[in-house]
Amino acid sequence: MDNRSNWHRIAYAALIVIVVLTGMLVSNAYHLQLLTFIGINTLLALGLNMLMGYAGQISLGHAAFYGIGAYTTAILTVHYAISPWLALPAAILIAMAIAYIVGVPTLKLSGYYLGMGTLGFGMIVHILFREWSGVTGGASGFIGIPPLELGPVSFSSGRNYFYLVWAIVLLSLIICRRIIDSRLGRGLRSIHDGEKAARAVGVNTGKLKLQVFVLSAAFSALAGFLYAHLVYFISPGTFDFITSIRIVTMVVIGGMASIWGALLGASLLTLLPEWLHSFSEFEMVVYGLILMSVMIFLPQGLTRGLMDIYERSKRQPDR
Amino acid sequence: MSDRRDSRTGSRPLLELEAVSKSFGGVHAVRGVSFQLTPESITGLIGPNGAGKTTLFNLITGLFPANSGRMIYEGETTHKVCIHELVRRGISRTFQNVELFESMSVLENILVGQHSRTRCGMWGSIFRFPWVLREEQQARRNALALLEFVGLEDYAAQKSSDLPFGWQRLLELARALAARPKLLLLDEPAAGLNIVETTQLGELIKKIREQGVTILLVEHDMSLTMTVSDKIIVLDQGVKIAEGPPREVQRDEAVVKAYLGTTG
Repeated sequence: MDNRSNWHRIAYAALIVIVVLTGMLVSNAYHLQLLTFIGINTLLALGLNMLMGYAGQISLGHAAFYGIGAYTTAILTVHYAISPWLALPAAILIAMAIAYIVGVPTLKLSGYYLGMGTLGFGMIVHILFREWSGVTGGASGFIGIPPLELGPVSFSSGRNYFYLVWAIVLLSLIICRRIIDSRLGRGLRSIHDGEKAARAVGVNTGKLKLQVFVLSAAFSALAGFLYAHLVYFISPGTFDFITSIRIVTMVVIGGMASIWGALLGASLLTLLPEWLHSFSEFEMVVYGLILMSVMIFLPQGLTRGLMDIYERSKRQPDR
Repeated sequence: MSDRRDSRTGSRPLLELEAVSKSFGGVHAVRGVSFQLTPESITGLIGPNGAGKTTLFNLITGLFPANSGRMIYEGETTHKVCIHELVRRGISRTFQNVELFESMSVLENILVGQHSRTRCGMWGSIFRFPWVLREEQQARRNALALLEFVGLEDYAAQKSSDLPFGWQRLLELARALAARPKLLLLDEPAAGLNIVETTQLGELIKKIREQGVTILLVEHDMSLTMTVSDKIIVLDQGVKIAEGPPREVQRDEAVVKAYLGTTG
């Protein structure tokens, strides 16, 4: 137990060092923005990983909460000239409230049906973003979202925003780690291992599933808020079905039931398209091939797969 | 109703079933079963395959509701009470096919077992208030004590699925005890155990009773059931056909017929 939390502490420290060094060394604005996107995607994957990896429930509609976070802050800051720092809790609370309302009937479903239910929800929300043009700007999108400022510090510079996002990522990783290591997290994992047994030992599985669904919606809305104030412009296309699937893919590729898996999965899926530009029309083919080979050779995802390889290499000299 | 009070009369029954029935579609799994469980007694529930023993277990633990009849636990009805609430009130069980949380360690399995006895929620886990840390430490001490009770204290850190089968049964028993039950239902706890392990299990069951736990036991191993039980209830095709001390039940004609059949 102690060994494991030590390991996590080292990983946190390593992440801080990497983030600070990257922020100092990388000066290309495009690269900084790409790295900031990795952070935002990590938040999305982290939230969904709590639901999928730990509670064992799938959601094919998480882009909806991502979008609700982005549109809420856009509407409040632009239409009502409210400070983004007040719009942030509003965005998160609205996403949580909607998750609660959607979750009560939906989480009674399981397996494929839960997938279909959340898929339908995601599509409805996407259509709302597109068609409710008086409020959301419709298909042409929402422009003029203000940059973030905190006293004298402006986050309109790419570097400051990069630090802000990654500080939030680090905090979120710690929060998730703490939840997983608690009574609540053990309850969640017990649902994943066997719902019948979890109920028999007294875990209120319905309540717990709803709680983690709401929690994951909160992380997605936080990511949506950060996205909106990074790019100043949002449009419905960013929050469609494909995005939901991409978040699921990040979780699966990175490794389910691992907070570091969320980070790895988000990094790979954000960077891969950039690396593959040189393949031009074959880009999607290579992209698909890489994801397929990860799943074939490391079916547990990158985190577990890399750890297994490391442990095997450590054992090798003894033989 | 032939409600025979046990030797330790005077005390109110812990659990009382009155004409409980359950059918699935056209199949009557349990038909009008009534019995009482005296506090701190061990009751063996036997009967041929398909007699309705597991259905009865699932009814008592609240997995699904009965179609008719009443179940009174500690003087209160258990009708439509959620499972987690029943666990909190002291009804705990093990499964016929061991159902451990396989991705978790042995210790963590017992910690989950204490879910109904602990209260740390979302905020508590994020902020780790002092009371949360105290609760966690206490839960760990309890878990280790339980592992010692069943003899698995040296394997606390192992993954539960790595234990040999017999030990998995013991772990599941310890996990059920972690909820501090008043009524413990054991569904074929000796299935898959060898003779030595079964004997040890019998001793363990008696020790659990000595701590004030009432036990209802479904078991095919007759030597175990007959030695540990104060009372035997026999089911056949969903109906209670006999109830009494082990020796009487063994001589009961209806029981012999149910087990050996008439065509034999």
